[in-house]
Amino acid sequence: MNEASLIGLFVATVSFGALLYLAALGELLTEKAGVLNLGVEGMMAIGAVTAFIAGVEFENPWAALVVAMISGAALASVHGFFTVALGAEQVVSGLSLTILGVGLAAYLGKDYVGLPPGAKLEPVQWGGLSDLPWVGPIFFSQAPLVYLALVMGVAVSLVLSNTRLGLALRAAGESASSTDSAGHSVLGLRLFAVAAGGALAGASGAYLTLSLTPQWAEGLTAGRGWIAVALVIFGAWRPGRVAWGALLFGGTLALKTRLQTFGVDFSPIILSMLPYLLTLAILLAISVRSRKRPSPAPTGLGLAYRREER
Amino acid sequence: MKHPRLHLREAPLPGGQPLAFAIGLTVALFVGTLLLLGAGHDPVRIYSRMFEASLGGPDAWAVTLNRAVPLGLAGLAVAVAGSMGLWNIGAEGQIMAGAIAASWVARIGGDWPGLVLIVAMLLAALGGGGLLAVGPAIARARLGVNEIITTLMLNEVAIRLAQWLIHGPWKDPGAHNFPLAPMLPDQAHLPTLFSRAHCGLLIAAAVIGISSLAVRYTAWGYELRIAGSSEATARYSGISLSRKILTVLVISGGIAGLAGGVELTGTADRLTESISNGFGFAGIIVAALALMRPSGVAVVALLFGAVQIGGQSIQTLGVSSSVSTILQAFVLFGAIGAGVFSRYRILLDGEAPVVPEEVNQ
Repeated sequence: MNEASLIGLFVATVSFGALLYLAALGELLTEKAGVLNLGVEGMMAIGAVTAFIAGVEFENPWAALVVAMISGAALASVHGFFTVALGAEQVVSGLSLTILGVGLAAYLGKDYVGLPPGAKLEPVQWGGLSDLPWVGPIFFSQAPLVYLALVMGVAVSLVLSNTRLGLALRAAGESASSTDSAGHSVLGLRLFAVAAGGALAGASGAYLTLSLTPQWAEGLTAGRGWIAVALVIFGAWRPGRVAWGALLFGGTLALKTRLQTFGVDFSPIILSMLPYLLTLAILLAISVRSRKRPSPAPTGLGLAYRREER
Repeated sequence: MKHPRLHLREAPLPGGQPLAFAIGLTVALFVGTLLLLGAGHDPVRIYSRMFEASLGGPDAWAVTLNRAVPLGLAGLAVAVAGSMGLWNIGAEGQIMAGAIAASWVARIGGDWPGLVLIVAMLLAALGGGGLLAVGPAIARARLGVNEIITTLMLNEVAIRLAQWLIHGPWKDPGAHNFPLAPMLPDQAHLPTLFSRAHCGLLIAAAVIGISSLAVRYTAWGYELRIAGSSEATARYSGISLSRKILTVLVISGGIAGLAGGVELTGTADRLTESISNGFGFAGIIVAALALMRPSGVAVVALLFGAVQIGGQSIQTLGVSSSVSTILQAFVLFGAIGAGVFSRYRILLDGEAPVVPEEVNQ
């Protein structure tokens, strides 16, 4: 194991971490407002394919990113319509959304499979910082979306804890009826959170096709949407903790393809179970502890709100 | 400005759920027509092919029924948990666990007589699926951990376990270094009923029938439904909720595992990574469309199987398989939406809820 390959591992850890973080932040925002969206995998797939298509057509990576975020938000709004406006079962609608997103992505992308990318988000160079040993390549030569993930993490955290909007969003997730009594529109807040979450999942998908693996193929998201769902729980619905979790889970993704290079005789398949097993462990730990302290999960998560039934 | 809002009906519209499914199908057909036209296909030709391939004769029926078997068992697994208000999202993984356990039996019992081997494999599948559900069941029953996430996480674990077995310890040395599990022994295949339809149909029908009766007519099922409709009522009437949760989730996992065993002995030659094939997720949808009623699961599974088989068949006409996936999603969303409207009426703001007049007398 030499220095270059170790640096490579950390670079990939940060990239994969950011990929997971963007999607997980979206899910966190959605869940904070009381809506569980199990359609992350589908929204990521749609983000990935629309970013790629827009990249080929417009040859501008930023336009591609915007298209992906809008598409992600639009798809998420299907879930929003059914679960928030109509009050349908969130689990069923979310899983249907994954089926819809993955199918739609395959349909839209079928003429783009194997094409060279029309636009890429190239790594950002930070002058002298990028030349530093270790730190330079790991933190200061990453794709723009890594920094976007960081900015979004701070932004989501600040909005949720320090603004009226954030307070209202969290209230909608904790107790919809009292939020309603306080004069806020639970419907509007939840629809917004769902759509914003979809935009972030779309951005995460765009990161795949604009930087990480700049091409389109069916099944490109490879179950990473489920890791994002897990991350939210792993990070106890807190943006900061989710970020650390994203690095940890990103590390397992990065390590998976490198085990052999490092001469470690351990199955990469077993390694890839780790994020899910860790999440299960954390869930158990949270619940054992929450006998003394309240659970960090939003109280109203998964519950539809209809004014007439309050 | 008037905002439309939803008002709970006194009782769901009669026949609301079949209607919901029909509306879902109609929406899907409409969207599908647009997609097909967009891709330059003739919708009439495609749709008639779908019908031919799924319901147009004994051979087509056989394939559709074979598909309905895992869908029905997975749907039943979800519905059994659902009738108590629990979500088993882990059927996908439990199917895998069932198939793994059944393959393990086939490995050690390669020279057992057919009937013994098949029965042992199916029992192992039942146990394997149940085993995967034990963790979430205990966590939910004893610690109150939400079963949605635990079962969901275990899906990914079970699928990777199968991958690991196929790439590692169970890799067939005779497969020229391809990551393939060895072929099942010849006598491990379920006998066929007609055409390609296998006996799994009888197994699924029996399990669905028994569960349906158990939920509807036994004291056990009665308690289950009480616990599902109101936790408080269940507590006051002295039903042990945690034991109920434990048994129901494990039974649910076992039924899903059985689906894996039936799929392995019925249609597969060997354990593969894709043997669960999305049946577990589809089962959630089947159960939801059946309103978590075990008796409804059979019908929905059959219709859903026909949609899937029809969708697959048009790939030979050059229609991308994604079209059939999208069609399924629209059946679902159409049905979800229609299901809501069968239970709620739409009111414009300011309008008083109309109390329905008594229809009888």
